[in-house]
Amino acid sequence: MSSPSAFTFKQANRRYRYAFWPAIGFYTVACFAGPMLLKAMSDPPKWVAGVIAVVTAAPIAAVFWLMGRWLRETDEYTRATHIDAMLVGGGILLSLCIGWGFLELFDVAPHLPTFWVAPGFFFFYGATRCVQRLLGMRKGGS
Amino acid sequence: MKNLLKDLRGARGWSQGDLADALGVSRQSVNAIETGKFDPSLPLAFRIARLFGKTIEDVFDDEAGQMAAE
Repeated sequence: MSSPSAFTFKQANRRYRYAFWPAIGFYTVACFAGPMLLKAMSDPPKWVAGVIAVVTAAPIAAVFWLMGRWLRETDEYTRATHIDAMLVGGGILLSLCIGWGFLELFDVAPHLPTFWVAPGFFFFYGATRCVQRLLGMRKGGS
Repeated sequence: MKNLLKDLRGARGWSQGDLADALGVSRQSVNAIETGKFDPSLPLAFRIARLFGKTIEDVFDDEAGQMAAE
């Protein structure tokens, strides 16, 4: 992972953005269009609902792939700090998930849909990056 | 790792952003290297040294590494 990238930091960011926004746009449309389509069909077959669910989730899977590509293409410092934030954020999220799972199992907490895991990852990853940057500034960085 | 990056950059009148663009890295990377919070890989250290027409040893002071070797 420490080998030099063929792309500069700015080029890697540009490549990420050019693919990220279409994926998020598609996801937003699918989030609204999918339920509307299912509602319009009085009794949709299971496979149709399944295809709509997979098509809605696919752009988020694409974003995870894009994040991996961006990590390989960006500079080594950015890569190191973001991988650290992903590990910390992912660790917090998975700890909360297993805790919540047991709370559900023992009928202490209500059921949460698993699709909240992906937004939860982005939230904790972003929050960890904010903390990293604040701590970096306090240590004398800019 | 201590280094002369800030002095070399200042001598050319470059901002951290200018140096980051020349190296193809983020401004935060330059800041982290200058303040000793991040040690660059060997390929990046070579790129930095070549940019200023110096050797790696001219730019970076591996005091801790030398002490450990002795």
